[in-house]
Amino acid sequence: MRNPLFILALLLLVSGRTNSQVINKVPLSPRITGYKIDAKLNPTSKSVEGTLEAFWVNKTTETVPDIQLHMYLNAFKSSRSTFYKESGGSLGKDSAAIGWVNLKSFVCKDGTNLLPLVRYIHPDDNNISDSTVIDIMLPKPAKPGDTVSVKISFVSKLPSRIRRTGYNGNFFFFGQWFPKFGVYEPAGMRYRTVGGWNCHQFHASSEFYADHSVYDVRITVPKEYVVGTGGMLLNESDVDGNTKVQTWRAEDIVDFAWTAWPGYAVFNDQWKNVKIRLLIPKTRQEQVGRQFTAIKNALEYYDKNVGPYPWPHLTIVDPPAYGSGAGGMEYTTLFTSDSFYKIPGSIHLPEMVTVHEFGHAYFMGILASNEFEEPWMDEGINTFWEDRIMGHYWGENSSLMDLPLLKISDKSTSRLSYVRSGSNQVVSNKEFSWNYPHYTYSMMSYEKTATWLYTLMGIIGEDAMNEVFRQYYSEWAFKHPCAKDFVNVVNEVVTRIYGNKFGPDMNWFFDQTLYGTGICDYKVQGFSNIGYEFKTKKDTASRSLMAVDSTKRAIVRLERRGDIMLPVDVLVHFRDGKEIRETWDGKSRFKDYTYYGGKEIQWVKIDPDYKIRMDVDLINNSMTGDPDRVPERRFSDKMISFLQFFISIVTL
Amino acid sequence: MKIFKALGSGYHRSLKVWKGVLIFWLISLLLASAVALPMKSVMKAGFGQSAITEKLMNGINVEVLSDLGTLLRGMVHYFSSGLLVLLLLWLIINAFITGGLFDSLKSKNEKFSAGEFFSSSARNFLPFLGITLITGAILLSFALLLIVIPMRGVVSIENPNESVPWLIMFISVSLYILISQVFVLVADYARAWQAKNEKTACFRALGFGFSRTFRRFLSSFPMMLMLWLIQTLFVFLVLKVIGNWKPASGIGVFALFLLSQMLFYIRLFLKVWRYGSVTSLKELNDPAPVPESILTA
Repeated sequence: MRNPLFILALLLLVSGRTNSQVINKVPLSPRITGYKIDAKLNPTSKSVEGTLEAFWVNKTTETVPDIQLHMYLNAFKSSRSTFYKESGGSLGKDSAAIGWVNLKSFVCKDGTNLLPLVRYIHPDDNNISDSTVIDIMLPKPAKPGDTVSVKISFVSKLPSRIRRTGYNGNFFFFGQWFPKFGVYEPAGMRYRTVGGWNCHQFHASSEFYADHSVYDVRITVPKEYVVGTGGMLLNESDVDGNTKVQTWRAEDIVDFAWTAWPGYAVFNDQWKNVKIRLLIPKTRQEQVGRQFTAIKNALEYYDKNVGPYPWPHLTIVDPPAYGSGAGGMEYTTLFTSDSFYKIPGSIHLPEMVTVHEFGHAYFMGILASNEFEEPWMDEGINTFWEDRIMGHYWGENSSLMDLPLLKISDKSTSRLSYVRSGSNQVVSNKEFSWNYPHYTYSMMSYEKTATWLYTLMGIIGEDAMNEVFRQYYSEWAFKHPCAKDFVNVVNEVVTRIYGNKFGPDMNWFFDQTLYGTGICDYKVQGFSNIGYEFKTKKDTASRSLMAVDSTKRAIVRLERRGDIMLPVDVLVHFRDGKEIRETWDGKSRFKDYTYYGGKEIQWVKIDPDYKIRMDVDLINNSMTGDPDRVPERRFSDKMISFLQFFISIVTL
Repeated sequence: MKIFKALGSGYHRSLKVWKGVLIFWLISLLLASAVALPMKSVMKAGFGQSAITEKLMNGINVEVLSDLGTLLRGMVHYFSSGLLVLLLLWLIINAFITGGLFDSLKSKNEKFSAGEFFSSSARNFLPFLGITLITGAILLSFALLLIVIPMRGVVSIENPNESVPWLIMFISVSLYILISQVFVLVADYARAWQAKNEKTACFRALGFGFSRTFRRFLSSFPMMLMLWLIQTLFVFLVLKVIGNWKPASGIGVFALFLLSQMLFYIRLFLKVWRYGSVTSLKELNDPAPVPESILTA
């Protein structure tokens, strides 16, 4: 700890390159934290031994007495850790299976030994067996502008049961592997009334929260290993013919992960100025084109509709099957995809995972929300964009599966996971990630959010929705936005575009969808054409009178069955081919529309353009006098044939 | 040459028993309809007067089907149990019908007679059922041995070379197809033998089936493979045609029904062709009957 001027001088002298510009011309983020790591992989003990020089700058106006760091790998140390208590499952057969991070030394830059001051804390659940967060009372509190610089010597042992991070044989994936600062939130930031560290324990159903940092990482591995990291390779040298040392640099990212495996083949491509590096098992080379197409599509779509991808490099890791526990995870400039050997081109699972994990570069990497406390802001928003990108490039109806007999869209799976969940009313999106009951974390964080965002887009339109995200990006990039910040952006953009059309703000929408537990279900209860059957119909004079008789009426009866009230379009189609489109505010429980003048209703549809994707039952959204039975009959014909062929094939 | 002779003779014999194939087809249609039609009724009730069915015009729409909610779950449960019951019923009926078919395929029969068909069906029912069950058990055991166990083993081994499990699966399935045809041949020979004998003797029939299969392996196994290939290609073709055809009108749906049933009739005919060919091959390989004059001498 030093005073600001001293720290500035120290940083320039000691940290050397840490705050200098190697990758980006200007810093993208405030760089509150920074790490310089020297890590040596020991493939036999499945661990890395390393030293870490890290700093945290107190950019607040508060005096901070302590620092808090995550020790994520300790979640794999004991079945009594919070992570394992929540997730269940086995750690593994023996001591080689468990994972941990041990501190060998912990000193301040001035040489003060901080190791005796290290205290394991359990801010979330008071679980004394959990050792994933440490707190160190500083010998001298950090005043505003002070920089706390520490030097840590540590050993990180990976677990054998890969859950994002771990090893299998000679495959290694290092995620959440080094002691890492929590986020100090001053009063006024997000929901803070009193400043303090936001440093949660490692939970089973949760992801992460960190400040944007600069990483200088030196990795020593056996020569045959292929290494991928979230940084840019600056230098590589041969040590003794058997070992190589690589120096990597990453700027303004929230986490630094890396992988090492001798079985990777490396491919390179480029989109605009972004150099893309793909690490994929040698046996899966036929999928290289698919992965590059997916990432380029995602880059293009985000660039157009949200904002530019600010880094000139990106690494995709497609882990081998026996390291698949590391698949489908994001670390901003590095992410892991999830493909399989010989996966058919009609199943777009690898593309979906790639598009999804890349999206986190925006909603976790650039817009670094707190995933512990508001997981929907990353996973949910990202799923919404994943659905849109998949639909745009791989077909609205076949974006996930494009088989001759079965087509499934990505957005359908999101909606169905939410609307068909038996627990879609048990909790709102307000919960901290580990507090979601009834195994609803995934459904609530990913799918419900994606579905209500689609619904919002249905109400305000695609252009306005894109404008919301462009503004959200420009206002909050490289900061830590929270839900109210996102809602404020929506309110601002919508009122700017539509004025008072949806009211003074859109809070009514968020109160019901984001903060509410209700469901949305509109129904056409029925329609009737009254006054067409008169006893006098044989009488020509009466018939001609009937044609203009204003007492004849057609009535549409609508019902709101759910608690959520959203404005919906209602399309009424008459037998003469004419149509009337009504806009119902959707607030009352029942609503009738009556039409005079001899028109006969043929069918009625609520939300004819399928904009309100939160509606849990699309079947009751319409009613027709002449239902089309062809699909049912076709289904039964094909089912009969299928059964006949099946029984004839399986019997002798 | 014997193979082609048997195939030709089998073809003619199967043409001769077209009425038997018709019975076979009709029963299958009734049974399959018993499972499929209630599902159609449930769908009809579920969709009611909704216009949502327009979204099903291009084929399966998981979103719309899922909105059937509990009805869909009921349909899935009904389908799985219905399929099981159908399979068991078909196993029994298949044993009964093939009893009549194999009898009609014998060389002595010139004309198809429904009375004789059902009478021999009844006579051969128990031994045919026994042959079916024993051969089925053998085929299941081989499936377990050749496919399930190796695949489970391969999955549990964490091999960095991802092509290995696929190669093993390919070899396992190919081997199983080859071996299954051997046992299908055994069952066909056994049934052809049983159809010719007055006494019902399931195990003797199987004994004959095994003995004839392995004694005349080179002449009979290639024939089975040829027939298997033709039938498999036909099934793929049918799946392609029926699967991709999405008629949008009532007449189109009726045409789909007619075409799919016609194709299934051809499928049954191809199966009966196999029965006829094996019966013919058996007769070709049977020792020539000793002339009456020598016996009485």
